[in-house]
Amino acid sequence: MADAFAEFVNAAKQEPAAHPLDQPVATWTEREVLDGEQIEAGVAILRTRGCYWSIREGCAMCGYFNDTVPGGVSTEALLAQWAQVLPHLAGKRYAKIYTSGSFLDPTEVPLDFAAQAMAGMHAAGVEKVLVESLPEFVHARHMDYGDAPALEVAIGLESATPLVLDKCVNKRLKWGGFTRACVNARAAGASVKAYVLLKPPFLNEAQAIDDAVASIERAAPHVDKVSLNPVNVQRNTVVERLFRRGEWSAPWLWSVVEVLRRTRECGVRVYSDPTGGGTQRGAHNCGECDQALLDALTEHRLGGAMPAAACDCRGRWKALLAQGGVRRDGAEPRGYRRGFRGGRGF
Amino acid sequence: MEPLAHEGLGRLLELHGRYTPLALGADSGTKLLPEKALGDGGALKLGRRKLALPPQPLGRDTAQAPFLALSDDVAVLDGGASHNPRQLLAALAAAREEAGWRRLLYTPAVEPAEMPLLTCLGVDLFDSLAAELHGAAGFRLEQGDWIPDGGATAAGNRKALAGWLGRIRSALEQGRLRELVERTALHNPRVAQLLHHSRDLLATRGARRAVEIRAGALSLGHPAVTEWRRNLERFAPPAAEMVLLLLPCSARKPYHWSATHRRFHRTLRELDNWLALHVVSVTSPLGLVPRELEMLHPAAHYDVGVTGYWDANEAAMFGRQLERLRPEDRYKKAIVHAGSASGLLAELLQERGVEVLETDAERPASGAGLAALGAACRTALRGVASLSGRDRSRGEAAGLARVQFGELAEPLLAASVQGRWPRLRLDGLANFSPRIGGFALTRNGAAALAAAGGPVVEAAEFKLRGDLFAAGVIGTRGEFRNGEQVAVEQGGEITAAGVARMAPGEMVAMERGLAVEVRNRG
Repeated sequence: MADAFAEFVNAAKQEPAAHPLDQPVATWTEREVLDGEQIEAGVAILRTRGCYWSIREGCAMCGYFNDTVPGGVSTEALLAQWAQVLPHLAGKRYAKIYTSGSFLDPTEVPLDFAAQAMAGMHAAGVEKVLVESLPEFVHARHMDYGDAPALEVAIGLESATPLVLDKCVNKRLKWGGFTRACVNARAAGASVKAYVLLKPPFLNEAQAIDDAVASIERAAPHVDKVSLNPVNVQRNTVVERLFRRGEWSAPWLWSVVEVLRRTRECGVRVYSDPTGGGTQRGAHNCGECDQALLDALTEHRLGGAMPAAACDCRGRWKALLAQGGVRRDGAEPRGYRRGFRGGRGF
Repeated sequence: MEPLAHEGLGRLLELHGRYTPLALGADSGTKLLPEKALGDGGALKLGRRKLALPPQPLGRDTAQAPFLALSDDVAVLDGGASHNPRQLLAALAAAREEAGWRRLLYTPAVEPAEMPLLTCLGVDLFDSLAAELHGAAGFRLEQGDWIPDGGATAAGNRKALAGWLGRIRSALEQGRLRELVERTALHNPRVAQLLHHSRDLLATRGARRAVEIRAGALSLGHPAVTEWRRNLERFAPPAAEMVLLLLPCSARKPYHWSATHRRFHRTLRELDNWLALHVVSVTSPLGLVPRELEMLHPAAHYDVGVTGYWDANEAAMFGRQLERLRPEDRYKKAIVHAGSASGLLAELLQERGVEVLETDAERPASGAGLAALGAACRTALRGVASLSGRDRSRGEAAGLARVQFGELAEPLLAASVQGRWPRLRLDGLANFSPRIGGFALTRNGAAALAAAGGPVVEAAEFKLRGDLFAAGVIGTRGEFRNGEQVAVEQGGEITAAGVARMAPGEMVAMERGLAVEVRNRG
C-alpha cells in the first residue's frame, strides 16, 4: 500500500522549471527572538539539487522540489549564490539558511562550500545560524565547520505517529532516528528545533489537532523548540490535488491556536508562523478574524501572550471538531468557514 | 435484508426492522460510532446491531479505482461529496460490481439535495454531517433545501433530515423517486450535472417500472423516455410501402381509447384500403408512438401539459426520432394531421425527402378536421397496394416483438400470428397482455427465448406454486434487467415464465424478497 501512496505522491509531481543556477531562490528578513531579545533575522533559500527523498519519492505536502535543480548545483554556482546572500546578512545576528532540502546532506550542499559559508557568516558577525536537515544527515561529521556561528538544526519530525508518517506524509522516519538525530546535534553543540505538521492530508481537523499535540508532547524532551507548521497547499503535490478536488482543506487558524494552547505546558517553546496564513491555500478562518489571529500568532512567536480573538466562526469550527471521530477526510462543505455567506461576486 | 421496491439502481431495503435509504445520525436508532484508533474508520449502529466501517482512506487516491472501501457489511464511496460529477458517476456505475448486493453502499457527508439522486443511483446510507454543519452556520433544512434561520440547530436539522429521508423512501416505494430527483435538480446545479451524466446509466441498467410519468421540464431525460426513443431504432412498420399518418397524441392513454382517436378511427375505417395507413402519434416527451406500441410503458403511462408550443429541444428530438424511423425508406408517402406539431413535422419529413400531404387542420378532430383527414387519406392511398388484415397483423406483431425483445424476438416470429391488434397472439409462445402492454411470454415462449440465449433464472428444484423468491434462486443466465420477462429453469427444464423483480446479481445474492413475478407455468 505504501507503494500505491508513493505512486500517488510521484504522480502529483512535475519536473521543476528551469532556474538560473547562480541566483538564490529568495532572500528576506524577518523578526525573530534571540536570547529573549527581538531582532531582525536574515533569511535566504539557496538553490540546490534539493532533497534526496523528494527525488526518490517525496512527501505528500512538500512542493519545495519546484525550486530545485535536478542535475545538482556545483560548488562554483553555490558560491555565486552565496556572494549575493552574504551582503544581505551584514549586521544580522541571526541567519536562516534554507535549501529546499537538507543543508547537512553533503551530496546536496558540499562540505567545502558549507564550511566557507559558515566562515563567512562568522566573520560577518552572525551569532547563530539555522539550517534544516533530514535526521539521517544530522551527524557531527557533517557539522565540522571550523569557525562558525552557533548552530541550530531544524528537523522535520512532521508527526510522531507512524501511521500518519506512513499513510499521510510518506516520510520514512522512525522515532529512534529522530531522537538519535537530536542527540547527535546536541553532542555537536547545536540546538534542535522540530517541525510538526498540523493537518497532513487525509486527516480531519480534530484528528489533526490531536496528532499535532501528541507529536509535540512526545518530541518536547528531545528538542529546544517546536515550530508548528499548518500544512499549506504547495504546487504539484498530493495536497494540491486533494485541495483542488475539495477532499481536504487547509487547517483553521483556530486549530493552530488550539494546539499552542494544549501544548503550552510541554516544557519547550512552541510557536507557529503559518505559511500562506489567511489564504485558501494556507491556514485560515472565516476571513473576518484571520488577520487579527495572524497578528496574535506573530506576537506570540516573538514572546507575547497566547493568541486570542473572538469570532462567530469559532462555533462552526467547534461543530466541525465535534464530527472528528466520524469524518473520513479533511474536507468540509464549500464556503463553510464563511458561514455560506458572502464570497465573491454575489 | 429484503428488497421491497426498486427504482433506477436504488432499492428500498428492509434491514433489521429499518428501511434504507437511511441517514445515519438522523433516522432514529441509527448513528455513526467514532473511531477507536486513528484511521480505523469506526462503525455504524442500526438499532442494536453494529456494523464495522472500512478504514479511513489514508494515502488513497479516491479519484481512481477501486473507488470503494469495503468492510464486511458496508461499502464506502469516499469523496462522494466532492468528486466531480463524471467521476462520481463512474464510481457509482462500478459500485455494485465491486461491493456486491449484500453490502450497504454509504456515501459520507453528502448534501441532502443530492440524496434523492444518489438513492436512485444505488446508495443505501447517508449521514447527518452536512446537515449538522449547516445548522451550526445558521441554515435550516427544509425539503432538501437550506433556509437561513438564526434559530437553526444541528439537532433541528437532524430531525428535518429524517423527514427528508422518509420522503425519499416513500417516493421510492411509490416509484416517484424520479420526480423528487427532477425537483431537486431544477434549482441545484450539482444535482442537475449529476442527473445529466447519469442518464445513460439509468436508461440502460435501471429497474423498469411501469409507473405513470407526469412529465416536466426534465422528462426528456427520463430513463424510460430515453430508452423508449432509443428502442424506436428496433422498430419497423407492419409492411413496406404503407402511408405514414401522423396524428396528435391524446390526454387519455392508450390513445385508441380516447374520444379523438376513436373519431379518427371512424373516419379512417370508411376508406378503401385503410389498413395501408400506418398511424403514428406525435407527442412529447416520447416523440413518435407507432400504434402497435401505444400500450407499452411509458406510451400508455404518461401525462404532459399540452401548450401547442414545441421548443427547440422537442424539435431536435423529433428530428432524431424520424432518423430512427427512416420514413424515406419505409413509407410511400406521409400525411401530417398532427395539430400544432404539423408544420414542424412536415418540414422535417420534407427535409428527409418524404412526399408529404398536410391537412392543415388546426383542430384535427373537429368535423372539418376529419373531413380534411379523409380527403388527404383518399388522395394518398391512391395507387397504394392493398394490405390484408392478416399481413398487417403479422407485421404489427413483428414490430412490437422486436421492440420488446430485440434480436431475441426472432424465434417468436416463427409462430403463426393470430387475432387483431391489440389482441395479438403468437401461437403458443406469447399473448398480448394489457398489463405488460405488449406480448407476455408463455412458458414455451420463454423457453424459445432461453434457447436463443435469452434471460433465464435458475431456481432450486421444488414445486413452484406462486412467485419465485430470492431464496430459491441459484443463478441466472443471459442479460436482463429488473422488470423484464424471464424464463424460470428448474433442473434443466423451463418451468415458468415471469417478470424479473430484481437485478440478476441481486436475486442471486439476496435471501429474501420477490425475485420473479411468475405469470405462466404452462
